[in-house]
Amino acid sequence: MTDLTQTATRSEVQPPQGRLAGQTFARLLQGGLIIVILYLSLYALYFYQQPRALSAGSIAALMNNTVPLALAAAGQTFVIISRGFDLSVAGVISVCNVVMAVYPLDGPGGAIMSILMCVAIGGSVGAVNGFLVAYLRLQSIAATLATMIICQGVALVILNAPGGRVADWLSYELTDRLFKTIPISGLFVLAVVLAWLYLRRTSFGISLYAIGADEHAASLSGINVRKVRFFTFVSAGVLYGLAGFMLSAQTATGNPTSGTPLLLLSFAAVALGGTSLAGGKGSLFASVMGAATLMLLQKVLFSSGVSSFYTGVFQGCVLVIAVVFSGLIEKLGERAAKL
Amino acid sequence: MQNSNIQAAPAKALVAEAIRKAYGATVALEHADIILEGGEVHAVLGENGAGKSTLVRILTGAVEPDAGSIHIHGKPYRPNSIKDARTHGVATAFQELSLVPNLTVAQNLLLPHLSRGIAGMVSGRRNIERAAQILAEHKLGRLDPRVDVSTLPLADRQRLEIVRALKNAGSVLILDEPTASLAETDWLFEQIERVTARNVAVLYISHRLSEVREICRSATVLRNGATIASVSLAEATDGDIFEMMVGKKVRDELSGEGRARTSGDTRLKVSNLSGGTVEKLSFDLKAGEVLGIAALEGQGQRDVFRMLAGLERVNGGSVELDGKPYVAHSPRAALKAGSGVAYLPEERKTEGILAGMTAASNVVLPILGTVGFPAIVNDRVEFRMAKDAGERVDMAPRYLGFAIGDLSGGNQQKALIARVLATGARTLLLFDPTRGVDVGTKASIYAAIRAFTDEGGSVLFYSSELPELVQLADRCMVLYGGQIAATYPRDQIDEQRLVTAMTGHFDGRERAAS
Repeated sequence: MTDLTQTATRSEVQPPQGRLAGQTFARLLQGGLIIVILYLSLYALYFYQQPRALSAGSIAALMNNTVPLALAAAGQTFVIISRGFDLSVAGVISVCNVVMAVYPLDGPGGAIMSILMCVAIGGSVGAVNGFLVAYLRLQSIAATLATMIICQGVALVILNAPGGRVADWLSYELTDRLFKTIPISGLFVLAVVLAWLYLRRTSFGISLYAIGADEHAASLSGINVRKVRFFTFVSAGVLYGLAGFMLSAQTATGNPTSGTPLLLLSFAAVALGGTSLAGGKGSLFASVMGAATLMLLQKVLFSSGVSSFYTGVFQGCVLVIAVVFSGLIEKLGERAAKL
Repeated sequence: MQNSNIQAAPAKALVAEAIRKAYGATVALEHADIILEGGEVHAVLGENGAGKSTLVRILTGAVEPDAGSIHIHGKPYRPNSIKDARTHGVATAFQELSLVPNLTVAQNLLLPHLSRGIAGMVSGRRNIERAAQILAEHKLGRLDPRVDVSTLPLADRQRLEIVRALKNAGSVLILDEPTASLAETDWLFEQIERVTARNVAVLYISHRLSEVREICRSATVLRNGATIASVSLAEATDGDIFEMMVGKKVRDELSGEGRARTSGDTRLKVSNLSGGTVEKLSFDLKAGEVLGIAALEGQGQRDVFRMLAGLERVNGGSVELDGKPYVAHSPRAALKAGSGVAYLPEERKTEGILAGMTAASNVVLPILGTVGFPAIVNDRVEFRMAKDAGERVDMAPRYLGFAIGDLSGGNQQKALIARVLATGARTLLLFDPTRGVDVGTKASIYAAIRAFTDEGGSVLFYSSELPELVQLADRCMVLYGGQIAATYPRDQIDEQRLVTAMTGHFDGRERAAS
């Protein structure tokens, strides 16, 4: 029997070095390596067409355009990693937008109040989603569809037609540049990405990936699945609130359907970033880059003189190509991990 | 395998009395009693569906019992979650393995209490150190705590699951089929001895009676959700135990009547097949023959089956079915090729059953096409089609209407075997067809395989249990390092020979692992 043991042990040992290297490679890919490369090449193309592309002004303008989608996609990433879908993003952004347009609060103090209001709105909708999905075990797509429809209704009750005016201080200061270089809106995204990098190293972050990959195994491992799921939706809601806040600062006006265009684009940004819609894999940073790529693509098409009607066609094609490409690369990474 | 005997223990480690649990109308446990002494290894024996899994779920806090009481060291114990059970010192290595694939070995081992560093962040380095130490303590130092669990072979995942339970077991350790994916038991038994030395009681569930006899002193037998008896294993014969488990004298099939059959024409001719870890493999499978494959974990047996079933790419060589070239690019193509090749996959849960559908739907799935287009397939039609196939594996028709996910593992396996039989294919590829099923189900499966080959069908099967190969195979090949190490005719198959060849010692010389 001893012979048997030794042989079995010998044949099962694999060179850990190669496996680990492959794994690190896979982590990098998940962290958004591909989307960063895609973004940079697209930016190079943009710069080639528009030499002004690297001026602080145009960087800030691009950043301002990107931020609402980036924050929405960031929130969506939380839910998708936990193997869920969140449609309420459209509703939350609309409600935040109309609240800010109907109740403008000026000055820095007003800005703080507004941001707290938006976060509270998003957080509460997220808590409702979390309760429905984690505790009442509704399917996330059904539960968040309901909250989205409710929120859109609420937005119409508050403001039944486009109008209103967001506080001037907000719409000027938040779209401005710090020291004439750093776009203020970018700082918000930076803060969110930093918070994510922290969060994914906490036990909450690790549990989030665990329940996305295998909820049953996670619960058998002693993870409180319901609590993690609940807070996943709350975190996502808070980020949608922030997205609504930043969107209002950009548009300076209220529109009860302002969140709707961001709904599907937020999924596109997440998928473009390489986050698997099947859960357990992905990164918030990659989704933010995915959002940035979608918006940059619009700019590039515009400066190439392509009619804006074609924007959707190109965005869709880029999405398909990116997902196919990252699938291929991932397969290579897995093969490397197996060797 | 002497267990330390603590005479002075004031209270039993675990006493469960009159446990009852029903899921709707189905009573899973009627009246289960079990007593575990500290430092003892105690087996729970029973057919699939006897209530073993439910008992485990109750003890681990995954399910709450409807009635009955449990005490641990004299104190009432009623866990409401896995975590709660762990705080009482009860830890379980689950049969289905409860590791999260996309987390690292270290994270899986330490969840849910990861070491924290700055600002509550999980400290990678500290966790890796802790995990490495735990692995080394349990003689698994060769595992790298930094790699993802998904990259580990199944056997190592099972070991990891066991180590996690060992680490968390303060008073009771539950091992549910701990050897399902392990080729040898030495490591496991050594670990069990270490944990019993700490006066931990071990509840040991396994279908392999020889293994149970080796490590356990006593056993509790469950049948139909009730405790039949608690026996000392030294005093009970295998026959007694089988009788207690099944409730009737076990059929003769299990006692291995030899049969030397004269084989018919060549059905499957495999020449120089290469792909995956397999290189230049050649063998014949005759009509009416059961060809067994014996091998340690990961010697290429999986690749052989998957290539023949059309699931894996063939890199070279050729296969002939009934003298005609056979190329399968998918399991569907394999079924349609010539006289048909049907594959029974290894992983029942993930590759086999469709859990939400009824057992009948699961059985008839591959032959629904024969119903023809305009006809409506309703439950009655499915039931009628499934019933015949079910009879061939001794599956009671009353189970056909249930969602297959709710059936016991044994009945699920019967349904899957009924499925491959129902396809009408004349060649079956059965990968470990009796993994984790009880003796009664085994007997039915063996009988079905015999009946199938008696009618001229051919069976290629791999088994992780050597006695099964000895009993069932007309010929047995041993794979080692992706090549055929040896082939034995019926009268030369015995466990000793197989083990020798499986470990790379054959023809009197040793070959280096490739």
